[in-house]
Amino acid sequence: MYRYDEFDARLVRERAEQFRGQVERRLAGELTEDEFKPLRLMNGLYLQLHSYMLRIAIPYGTLSARQLRKLAFIARTYDRGYGHFTTRQNLQLHWAQLPKVPDMLLELAEVEMHCMQTSGNCVRNITADHFAGAAADELEDPRILSEILRQWSTLHPEFSFLPRKFKIAVSASAADRAAIAIHDIGIQILKNAGGEIGYRVFVGGGLGRTPFIGQEVGPFVPKADILAFLEAVMRVYNESGRRDNIHKARVKILVHQIGIEEMRKRVEAEFAEIKKTGVLELPAEEMARIGTYFAPPKFEDLPRESPEFESKKRENRAFADWVKTNVHTHKMPGYAIATISLKTIGETPGDCSSDQMDGLATVMDAFDQAEIRVTHEQNLVLPHMRQRDLYALWQKLSALDLGAANHGLVSDIIACPGLDYCDLANARSIPIAQAIAKRFSDLDRQHDLGELKIKISGCINACGHHHVGHIGILGVDRKGVENYQILLGGSGAEDASLGEILGPGFDQHGIVDAVENVIGTYKDVRRNGERFLDTYRRVGAQPFKERLYAR
Amino acid sequence: MRMPQVLTANRLVVGEVVYWGGPAGWVQRLEQAEVLMNGAGEAALANAAEWVRKGEIVAPYLFDVRVNNGVPAPVKVREVIRAAGPTVRRDLGKQAD
Repeated sequence: MYRYDEFDARLVRERAEQFRGQVERRLAGELTEDEFKPLRLMNGLYLQLHSYMLRIAIPYGTLSARQLRKLAFIARTYDRGYGHFTTRQNLQLHWAQLPKVPDMLLELAEVEMHCMQTSGNCVRNITADHFAGAAADELEDPRILSEILRQWSTLHPEFSFLPRKFKIAVSASAADRAAIAIHDIGIQILKNAGGEIGYRVFVGGGLGRTPFIGQEVGPFVPKADILAFLEAVMRVYNESGRRDNIHKARVKILVHQIGIEEMRKRVEAEFAEIKKTGVLELPAEEMARIGTYFAPPKFEDLPRESPEFESKKRENRAFADWVKTNVHTHKMPGYAIATISLKTIGETPGDCSSDQMDGLATVMDAFDQAEIRVTHEQNLVLPHMRQRDLYALWQKLSALDLGAANHGLVSDIIACPGLDYCDLANARSIPIAQAIAKRFSDLDRQHDLGELKIKISGCINACGHHHVGHIGILGVDRKGVENYQILLGGSGAEDASLGEILGPGFDQHGIVDAVENVIGTYKDVRRNGERFLDTYRRVGAQPFKERLYAR
Repeated sequence: MRMPQVLTANRLVVGEVVYWGGPAGWVQRLEQAEVLMNGAGEAALANAAEWVRKGEIVAPYLFDVRVNNGVPAPVKVREVIRAAGPTVRRDLGKQAD
């Protein structure tokens, strides 16, 4: 994985010390809250319902065992012994105390981590396909470009005060595991007819109160031109994006207002200007140098199938169930990708205790895993597992209460922190996710339902991606009482679409019955092997509405 | 008729939720908060600006309550959760004290 050079290391250390000075001045009364707030936000520090929350950047979702142990230590020493992995592959600690935050930042700096650009109107942490370097369908490791973009965007003077926040995601195959369609810029690595690898660039995706699916602004951008092209997009946005209304300031609104054709025209004009200078041409040698940081591990020469693995699957039904959903095809024979579910039934989606983090770091060492990945679906991934080790892995994960066999199933629910923690939320998300997961806890029932993505947000800001859930749930405040709307038909994958609100909402208890009702309709009208999403797309909302709102 | 109100904020240093307790100053528990009747909230909120200036608290605001036997109960679930802690972690927040 990427290792900081001297410049990176100095930057994050100096930033932590700079923040220490800012905190001291705030506590001494030399800075007002209005003066201090933008400074703390630049370091990922929010004030939430019960306390301060520190959002830690995990670039492209990749962590080493050393980093994971450090996160466990920080959570245990400075917070309440757990963290919450988010849909942007970050980690949030919900009980930070202001005077201790500079020490937390220095601890992070020790393991090449920081909290910069996890808040504010700048380019946020770059996210990428969590199967990077391991997926059989991958064209190139998306973290190479992601790291280059991280370096390009970190403290970029021109883009540090954008009209609004700006999120970029990179996917490395036709299968979109990075939800690129709902990012301000989504990048798909692809190959053209001549066999050359380049980038398809989308712009203007996003959720929140005005959701949009991103549109293609560059069908094929050559590798050498990608920085110039993205800088062109950013310049058009920085110049033309609205600053007078926070709700209309994202690039998606600009694209919607001027249209994608005009956006393309402006980007191409700006791109041509930047190209003339040549300064942003990405040298192939530099790309190759960054690429060496993401070189795959030394794989053993293994048979395609492991006899031990196959035999354990036959012998142990629970293990076979876990394999069915949580193990994915690896590009190398004899290897597999293992998804660790952070959706144990009854637990908070995305939460991981310090003890579990330490336990996972030990597991990584035991199985020679240099990296663990955070997914935007709030799970973790061990990317390069030997098939023959999977049974032992599953046993160790189960001992950590992390062996749930539910990846991609109805209980693998994305949920934002919601009103249990978040200052912006109108309703709780976590208890709804827990109640639905419990209702459908029977694994045979979950497997029978197949792939079914439920995503829950506690407010219209949509951190829980409810617009792109096969079943989305949006919590709203109805006269001081939590109320939950159901949306159907969304997808954040390569077949991206926005869900549609089905009808009137439900209270905290009614929403679980309502979800079960909707799933009952699916079971009745589905065709053999048809996913929930495909059934919905075939039959539309009517059958679901009729049964749900029948009197 | 206006509902009774309570003035709340977060402590600057630790971010903890606090309530205006009248003569007691800023208090930790909602039941110790002063119930502000008949528009007294605005005056208390204006007074809070001085505590903000002194760096004791941040983000003060008023919220509506119902009063049962002299004890304020929030109208909105948001304030119920702020007063207690996360409903999904009963071991954390004021509810755990």
